[in-house]
Amino acid sequence: MKKTMYVVAISMLFLTACKNEKKQTNAEMQPGMEMQNNAKPINNGMKTNSMMQKNKRNNEYVVTQKNKTTTPIIEAYLDLKNGLADDSNGKATKSAEKLLKAFANFDRSKLSEEQKKKYIDIEDDAKENAEHISKNPIEHQREHFESLSVDINDLVILLGTSKTLYQYFCPMVGDGKGAIWLSETKETSNPYLGRKTPTCGTIQKQIN
Amino acid sequence: MSKFKKILIFIIIVLVGIQFIPTKRNESMVILKTDFTKIYVVPENIQIILKNSCFDCHSNNTNYPWYNKIQPINWMMESHINNGKKELNFSEFGSYSKRKQKSKLKAIINQIKDDEMPLSSYTLIHRDARLSVKEKKIIKNWMGQLMNNIE
Repeated sequence: MKKTMYVVAISMLFLTACKNEKKQTNAEMQPGMEMQNNAKPINNGMKTNSMMQKNKRNNEYVVTQKNKTTTPIIEAYLDLKNGLADDSNGKATKSAEKLLKAFANFDRSKLSEEQKKKYIDIEDDAKENAEHISKNPIEHQREHFESLSVDINDLVILLGTSKTLYQYFCPMVGDGKGAIWLSETKETSNPYLGRKTPTCGTIQKQIN
Repeated sequence: MSKFKKILIFIIIVLVGIQFIPTKRNESMVILKTDFTKIYVVPENIQIILKNSCFDCHSNNTNYPWYNKIQPINWMMESHINNGKKELNFSEFGSYSKRKQKSKLKAIINQIKDDEMPLSSYTLIHRDARLSVKEKKIIKNWMGQLMNNIE
């Protein structure tokens, strides 16, 4: 009897610990959003500064749920990222098609109602971005890769992954606002600038 | 009658004939609740630019020129409008998720920056739909602000 009490107590501890972690993830997303709101851009310089500050501050380690079902989506995304970093329109096109297939094959049935709602939101946008990437020249591919990276990042936070990923930020792209991407390595290879300037980018966050 | 004449007459008959095929017009009297100008406060100068350069293909209301009455010009226009609305419909902007709205705004800014939109084939005929450097800047800045303020 005592033993079961212990087990219950310990598992309770673990559960609350997990909850806290989740809260942290949420909390960490908030400041950025607030920043953007406060920034209510009067001039562009201001905006860039606040964005940079935000990005300097974040240097975090986030642990997600272990989830293998998201692997095909993430791997297709990473292929796409590598294709763009290699300046390869062809590789990027193929990976975008792979990504579309991965989304089509994703099993939503195990998601909770709330997760499903958020997932559909992300998928809807990500698929549209992937479609554009699959049939356009590289400049246009890179533009949509910016929105896609936000989508995939949110997907990873929402559903989790069993992979270790790094969230990079390069302030030189995205019309001076900077842009993020996810990578599987600690070696910087910028998908927005390609071989011309491969090293622009710092790790903002390690996932798992 | 030579073969050439026969073919010519045939073409004329077809050209006249297709003028009688009824067409659906992209016009709507109702302004939907999801209309871009309903869900966001859009200043007048921005509204004018959007109306002149974007809404013909990206809303439920096309301001048709006189020559749209002529086939096959009208069919070409119809396919332009259908594709345009599929990508972005300002009349239904409010039905997009916040995430999608942000993506669309980003895409709008990029398309204008890259001179992809308005389409050159469209501005070739609609000279007043062309955007000046100043107008481009105004619209990009405003769309950028809106994008940052969407939660």
